[in-house]
Amino acid sequence: MKFLCVPCDQPMNLHSTHGPFDGTMSIVYECPSCDVQMAMLTNKAETQMVRSLGVKIGGRTAPAEPMETLRSSLAVSHEESASESSSGGRCPFTGVISDAMAAAEPEAGIHWSPEALTRLEAIPSYIQPMVKRNIEDYARDRGLSEIDEGVMDAMKGQLGM
Amino acid sequence: MGQVAEQHDRLGRRLKRIGSMIAVMSGKGGVGKSTVTASLADALTRKGICTGVLDADLNGPCMARMMGVPDFKPSPKNGSMTAARNEFGIPVMSMGMFLPDERTPLVWDANSQRGAYTWRSMVEMSALRELLSDTEWGDLDVLLIDLPPGAERLQNLVDLLPNLAGAIVVTTPSVVAMKVVGRSISMATDITNVEVVGIIENMSAVVGPACGHQDKFFGETSMVEDLAAAHDVPYLGKIPFDHRLADCLDHGQSYLQTHRSKPAATAILSIAEQVFSWTKTKSS
Repeated sequence: MKFLCVPCDQPMNLHSTHGPFDGTMSIVYECPSCDVQMAMLTNKAETQMVRSLGVKIGGRTAPAEPMETLRSSLAVSHEESASESSSGGRCPFTGVISDAMAAAEPEAGIHWSPEALTRLEAIPSYIQPMVKRNIEDYARDRGLSEIDEGVMDAMKGQLGM
Repeated sequence: MGQVAEQHDRLGRRLKRIGSMIAVMSGKGGVGKSTVTASLADALTRKGICTGVLDADLNGPCMARMMGVPDFKPSPKNGSMTAARNEFGIPVMSMGMFLPDERTPLVWDANSQRGAYTWRSMVEMSALRELLSDTEWGDLDVLLIDLPPGAERLQNLVDLLPNLAGAIVVTTPSVVAMKVVGRSISMATDITNVEVVGIIENMSAVVGPACGHQDKFFGETSMVEDLAAAHDVPYLGKIPFDHRLADCLDHGQSYLQTHRSKPAATAILSIAEQVFSWTKTKSS
């Protein structure tokens, strides 16, 4: 899929991406002739749907790794099915989105209260990493530095679990 | 669109080294598709036919255990993922190999699982495509694809594999199973235009472990043969239930190796012969 700048009749180039924040992201395109920019906003479902296709927004610069979508889309996988190279693996539908997701993964600055950690540990182990990351994303998007039970309650409805 | 085309090209390149891809299907669950798949792979291999197994049941994977490679974890090598190879050299690939253990269900990473119906089937199709295209199968005469229950599963597979050679249909001789299986056959022949290799009547009887006497599970009936005739597809034979077959597959052992003279083994070998003849006819 490409966007055309109608006045210039030129396909627009990927300029930058922002997010994902709480599952949504924006992807900015720019006309190479007139520099006009436009942004496409994706909601949670659209972000997930594109991710499911195993394609990379803006095109690929390197071939897909073997079973890239499968391995990167599992909530939890066996550690021995790790990437052949240290840099690959978690790269589902975009250097764009996966890089952004990876950037969001560091937990610096987010503190978990003991009560919140206890509740997290009560969740089945196979979804704990995904739930933990989503709650931290939720807190980060709202400028929160601590996750307590109140944050978990607020997030609970959004997880659908 | 270029990337989607590249995905299909990659799939096409991989599958050039595979002679015939055959789906093992049934509209109904619990009829023994996986048992038949594992047994046929074993039987074909014993006939010198290079056979591989793909477990396409992403949410209920069991082929790794049945084929004797329950602890195998694939690893990337030269742009492909290594397939497990059991003690007879049969390559096996399964979603279960990517999960930490046999208790862990398949959960896809998402910001929310709510509304997963909008994207789950899409990511499963991507995963299935990658299991086919990114596995180092080697050169195979036959790749058996063990499908999950559901008439629509074959159609999904054909979307990925327009050159699917055919489908083996498994049923038990129960009215309930056969009604559903009949719909699956219609789906295969009328909607997806997939040739049905034949119907296998599984669990046709129970074999006494000591005396070898066979008692019918569902009474004396020729319903499955009638079903085959009604759809004008071959009837490949009946496999009696033998608890030793179930025990062997639970432990990843070859039933044919240890119980070759049992009625179920004789039936499996006979069916494998017919399947191989079918593939030879198709390729000639």
